[in-house]
Amino acid sequence: MRSRDTGGGEARRIWSRTLTSRGRENLTAYAFLAPFLIIFAVFLVYPVVYSLYLALHQVPSDSFDVFGGLQFVGLRNFAKLFTDVKFWWSVLMTLYYAALIIPSGIAVSLALALLLNNRLRGVAIYRSAFFMPYVLDMLVIGIVWTLIYSPHIGILVRLFESVGITAFSEKGFLGMSSIAMPSVVFANVLKGAGFGMILYLSAIQNIPRSLYEAAEIDGATSWRRFTAITLPLVKPITFFMVVIGTIGALNAFVEVYAMTSGGPSVDVGGRALGATWVTGYYVFDAFYNQWRLGYASAMSYVLLALTMIVTVVNRRFLGEKD
Amino acid sequence: MSVRRTSVARSTALYFGLTVAAVVVLFPFFWMVVTAFKEPGQAFSSEILPSQPTLENFRRVLSDFGFGRYFANSVIVATTAALFATMFATFAGYVFAKKQFFMKERLFTFLLISLMIPGMMYVVPQFAIINKLGWMNTYRAMIIPHLANVFGLFLMRQYMMTIPNELIDAARIDGAGEWQIFRKVMIPLSIPIIATLFLLTFQFHWNNFLWQLIVANVERLYTVPVGLAMFKSAHEELYTLKMAGSCISVLPIAVLFFFAQRYFIEGMTMGAVKE
Repeated sequence: MRSRDTGGGEARRIWSRTLTSRGRENLTAYAFLAPFLIIFAVFLVYPVVYSLYLALHQVPSDSFDVFGGLQFVGLRNFAKLFTDVKFWWSVLMTLYYAALIIPSGIAVSLALALLLNNRLRGVAIYRSAFFMPYVLDMLVIGIVWTLIYSPHIGILVRLFESVGITAFSEKGFLGMSSIAMPSVVFANVLKGAGFGMILYLSAIQNIPRSLYEAAEIDGATSWRRFTAITLPLVKPITFFMVVIGTIGALNAFVEVYAMTSGGPSVDVGGRALGATWVTGYYVFDAFYNQWRLGYASAMSYVLLALTMIVTVVNRRFLGEKD
Repeated sequence: MSVRRTSVARSTALYFGLTVAAVVVLFPFFWMVVTAFKEPGQAFSSEILPSQPTLENFRRVLSDFGFGRYFANSVIVATTAALFATMFATFAGYVFAKKQFFMKERLFTFLLISLMIPGMMYVVPQFAIINKLGWMNTYRAMIIPHLANVFGLFLMRQYMMTIPNELIDAARIDGAGEWQIFRKVMIPLSIPIIATLFLLTFQFHWNNFLWQLIVANVERLYTVPVGLAMFKSAHEELYTLKMAGSCISVLPIAVLFFFAQRYFIEGMTMGAVKE
């Protein structure tokens, strides 16, 4: 490619003379790669770099010209971020979200996998039924759950009322700051469990039956067999679930957008904050609603840093275990 | 636990457990569908199934609220994007599976690392680039930025690595050129993975709500999810219509899943198991 700059004819002559089979191989390879790499460079690599540039600038709030009118502000966006209560709250809410969704997602996935791991007629139909929500749109699922969770007349509220529980009737599940986040997580766990279920199922089916038979002969109860054989042997899947669960939490946005828009409001030391105000939603809000592109970019860099930390920690953790 | 023959009592208990789980997992979809067939005033009536099922909600969202248009946009965007994303990933996956070239290993690691970057990170700068290119409110803005599917490249590479090199060598001896080898040897042998990737990228673009919300803010370019989100904020109280719109939004993917679930399940979990 270097010869591009020298004149056309000359270059071609040098090219064909020096074009070894290896050179030709390289040329073919990069010709095949070109469409992918061009898109990759322009829309996936450059944005990460440009995002840093944006993070060091401020876009005037009245300007829609994202490239002109930028004002260099150095690290001020980051400095502001570190004193922004709303931001730290969002990190806290993201951790809360992760702390809820990771264990419950693992538990539900594993439970479904154990149920499916039996020689029963029609088990494949159940498997499909459990997996299907995973391929469907989170936005739609969120909108449907908003209806199910709604106050006064929502189906779930009325279901609870029929057994005498009226605590949720007034505000609905998404309107109460104490249970809004668990409700969002619940909807999401049911949507996503099919994915982990498949991973666990194939891991469980790879466990040699002789292990269980030997344990049975030794008189191990089925619970004991589960904790002593199954759980340790599916550990790689569990770690994987923790990793993608964490990354998922750092990216959480659509479920919050669809169900709560970051709310409902909670009073924290005299400040109104959102009970489901996760960082992914804050990035969107800063960008889309407030037009603070520099600030949103700075925040997304912090998200990137957090993701890197999580990945490195997990790598190390995983590395030690295996 | 181990798979073994089950007693009647045990299998009854298992079926019970499976059925309860299925009811819980599928309840939102059930509720979406029954609500979509209820008359507007009946969204919260005490009956579970609509006493007089009506198609009126579907008629209204499709004709009065432009969901027909949104649906067409979704089809255009998701089909075009899936086609090109699959094509580019097939080209790239092929060379990573079968060729040696300058910077191969380093490039591969770089692509691998890029998978870890949180999606939210791209939103603002990608929007800025689209803006700069003057692509706002165009189909190409909705499609082109997501055509480099790194996960798809890995799927392709993984699959194509299992195709024996002898087949390629034999074709070369028979005088096939690079393109012919790709076209006549690799493609026919990779049909299952190409179909898988097409379905997965179609599904991704069909559901790619956030990006489409950002780059297309005129109604004539709304995709179904964007139209639904806009409808939701404008007509919060029109529940039966919202559910009809939701049905329309998930229907194509649900149908695809029904007919091609094996491809979906294997494709989506393949990358995960091969750590």
